[in-house]
Amino acid sequence: MHISEGVLAGPVLFSGMAVAAAGTAIGIKKLDFDQLAQAGILSAAFFVASLVHVPVGPSSVHLILNGIVGLLLGWAAFPSIMVALLLQSIIFQFGGLTTLGVNTVIMALPAVICYYLFAPLINKKSSIAMAAAFACGFLAVFMSALLVGVSLYFSEKNFFEVATLVVTAHLPVMLIEGIITVFCISFIKKVSPEMLPGAR
Amino acid sequence: MHSRPRSIVIALIIFFSLAGPAAAHKVMVFAWVSGNTIHTESKFSGGRKVKAGKIEVFDPQGKLLLSGKTNEQGEFSFPIPQPSALKIVLDAGMGHRGEWTISRDEVVNAGPADPATPPADNTGDGKPVPAAAVQTAARAPATATGLSTEELQRVLEKALDRKLEPVYRMLAEAKEHKPTMTDVIGGIGYIIGLVGLAAYMQARRQRKS
Repeated sequence: MHISEGVLAGPVLFSGMAVAAAGTAIGIKKLDFDQLAQAGILSAAFFVASLVHVPVGPSSVHLILNGIVGLLLGWAAFPSIMVALLLQSIIFQFGGLTTLGVNTVIMALPAVICYYLFAPLINKKSSIAMAAAFACGFLAVFMSALLVGVSLYFSEKNFFEVATLVVTAHLPVMLIEGIITVFCISFIKKVSPEMLPGAR
Repeated sequence: MHSRPRSIVIALIIFFSLAGPAAAHKVMVFAWVSGNTIHTESKFSGGRKVKAGKIEVFDPQGKLLLSGKTNEQGEFSFPIPQPSALKIVLDAGMGHRGEWTISRDEVVNAGPADPATPPADNTGDGKPVPAAAVQTAARAPATATGLSTEELQRVLEKALDRKLEPVYRMLAEAKEHKPTMTDVIGGIGYIIGLVGLAAYMQARRQRKS
């Protein structure tokens, strides 16, 4: 999911940076005191999740967890994910500094979209909430895969081929993340429902 | 009330970090010279080979010299296209790209004892140089067995290449930086530090207002 340095064209990198900067600014503005520790912990979870990899076909993919990060943080997902990606690129050499903006958008934008789509459903009755949680984990990765296809479109010119490849490669991750999100949400619902969006 | 879910999240983090300590998403390409061939090996971090990844070889000016695809073992070999530094670029698809540069010295020195590009110490071929006592001593048994210096050199280089190939490979692989536990904990530490910093700023702002 991390796009390496030297793959993308300048305009794509710059627009990625611009969108990431805007998202991060909104996120920091919306991040209130009570949410800080939560944002930090989810950022750490996101940072570590990339080390859990799933071997698929010719490639290997790893957990992303952007669905749950978005669902719990909303716009604050942008700064959390950007910090984690920055550390991943410095410490693990995943992605790179020039592609930090693009990679942040790829993973944080679906997180925010999922927040708006599914946060209202999480406090409904259990069956709806669980379905929403699964869809959230699943769709966040799906949208990220689509965004990878979009950003590569400008350098590879065959959107459908790249997008299909990325989406199929991430199908197992989508399923796993859907299940992880269901577990996390049902657990939080039982133990500490005030953490969930809408309960504040 | 927040402490319980949080400790679970932390437990989850520790579980994840133990589950896959050396696996992730990055591609690497290694290359080494053996005889007049350059071997490359490509893999994802975590050790999976890159199958059918695209390899492109560039000269220092960025001109494409040749390209090819890696085989099932993630390997791709090609003859030295020209005696210059070479940049080898791997494109494993989906935005994954790795690079490896072979220096000019490595390409020129490791090549066969080719008369077209003679190594610098080949000058005293006919008459022995008296200053180099060690060299003449080494040369004496060679003449005794009827091998010329050039032949001996070629045989030596060939044997050395063969013997050293695993060493080259090991050295190339040693350059791979695998994420260690220290890296993971360090990264988490940075995040905790940032949270602390942000909390401090917010607390200050709240006190002012």
